[in-house]
Amino acid sequence: MNFDWNVIWTHRQALLEGAAMTIGLTVVTMLLAVPGGILLALMRLSSNKAISSASLAFVEFFRNLPLILVIYWAFYVMPIAFDVQFSALTTALVALVLNISAYNAETFRAGINSIRKGQMEAALAMGMSRRQAMFKVVIPQAARRILPVLASTWISLFKDTSLVSVIAVSELAYTSMQIRAQTFRVLEMLTAMAAMYWLMGYPQAKLVDWIHKKYGVKE
Amino acid sequence: MNPMIEAGTAMNAAANTGAQLPRKGADQPPVLLYENVRKLYGDFVALNNVSLQVNKGEVMCLIGPSGSGKSTLLRCTNVLETLNGGRVLLDGVPLPTRETEIRKVRQRMGMVFQSFELFPHKTALDNVAMGPITVLGMRVREARTRALALLDKVGLASKAESFPAYLSGGQQQRVAIARALAMEPEVMLFDEPTSALDPETVGEVLNVMKKLAQEGMTMIVVTHEMSFAQRVANWVVVFENGAIMEEGPPAQIFDHPTVARTRDFLGHLGWNG
Repeated sequence: MNFDWNVIWTHRQALLEGAAMTIGLTVVTMLLAVPGGILLALMRLSSNKAISSASLAFVEFFRNLPLILVIYWAFYVMPIAFDVQFSALTTALVALVLNISAYNAETFRAGINSIRKGQMEAALAMGMSRRQAMFKVVIPQAARRILPVLASTWISLFKDTSLVSVIAVSELAYTSMQIRAQTFRVLEMLTAMAAMYWLMGYPQAKLVDWIHKKYGVKE
Repeated sequence: MNPMIEAGTAMNAAANTGAQLPRKGADQPPVLLYENVRKLYGDFVALNNVSLQVNKGEVMCLIGPSGSGKSTLLRCTNVLETLNGGRVLLDGVPLPTRETEIRKVRQRMGMVFQSFELFPHKTALDNVAMGPITVLGMRVREARTRALALLDKVGLASKAESFPAYLSGGQQQRVAIARALAMEPEVMLFDEPTSALDPETVGEVLNVMKKLAQEGMTMIVVTHEMSFAQRVANWVVVFENGAIMEEGPPAQIFDHPTVARTRDFLGHLGWNG
């Protein structure tokens, strides 16, 4: 068997652009899905039954569907059902944000519930509003506690962005597969793709560990 | 009038009210007035038609067995709990029910919790400055100056930049007192402030409270520290089963309790005053 590793170097430009797209998708998804998760978690904790149920329904719907199905659904069904047509990239983002928001909602809910009631009461006793108490006292502590979970979600998301290749968003997986199809260099391209995902993913995991050590609150 | 007779009349008046001295702040309208306060948790009657008054500048200690309603009364005072009956008047005005007005009332009362409840993600200084900044909209610099002065007052200026996790229980509770004082409250509510402390740090917290009492702060203290109640309180209220069993100046409660159950309760604590 002869290998031609040059194919990787030859297509380095495309691969790097794919990697940049993968990172971009991850970052933008998380930037939207963290506030989304907080919003859903607060809705879930609301005393208003309707609001709480709506959040629960959203979370359970998107958490229990395969992400790839949500991506397909957003791409093929949304234009027909709701008469909205987005680019493949926007569609991919919508699907990812819906899915990750559902996960983040559960994470934030657990985090908020883990902060003891007295913290909220102490904030209220000072004269803060519930909103101030939540955003200045409870959520900052909850966020630090759930950082390891958010980090895991981040790493999963980073890899799961490869699923949007099915609707031809040119991130790393899609780009690699395209090159593979053009050059027939299957093993080389799959190896290159694996190496790139791992080399990008591992430092992110380490970075989060470091952030947790530095900013985690000792209680 | 003959001074001898005058003194005698005063003594007679005191004897008639059953106390050696007139109750502190009795010449002014009460700061807090509880009228037939009732609080239920499901079927459990936490407060059963409690009526009580707190005068200006008074240090009132609430004592009694666990679950007798002392803490519940405190929590009804700053509307952390809502009443099922009766009413509470602050400076003659019933406690509000609307959220924005409740917040205004809470700003006038500082609360200190058994478990401190300092915010672990903020330094001691920021814990104290947070109320003025967030609630009063004070400038950060001004709030921090006020906070530092208060930390100094509780003897912890040197710990301003420490996070709560690095402070002892007694230090945390003193920061919590400073935090409550930062809102410049008219009344301070203490909910078993020393119950979670190591014995060796109880004294430092009680000393801060004593200093506060001497400055004339109106204080309601739920406590199991009988010696504190005896030495610092102007008025002691004994709770049992959600009702007031007996109230009076410490000399009466601790030395000549008129109710047998008070004697039993103090006896259980090993109090033989």
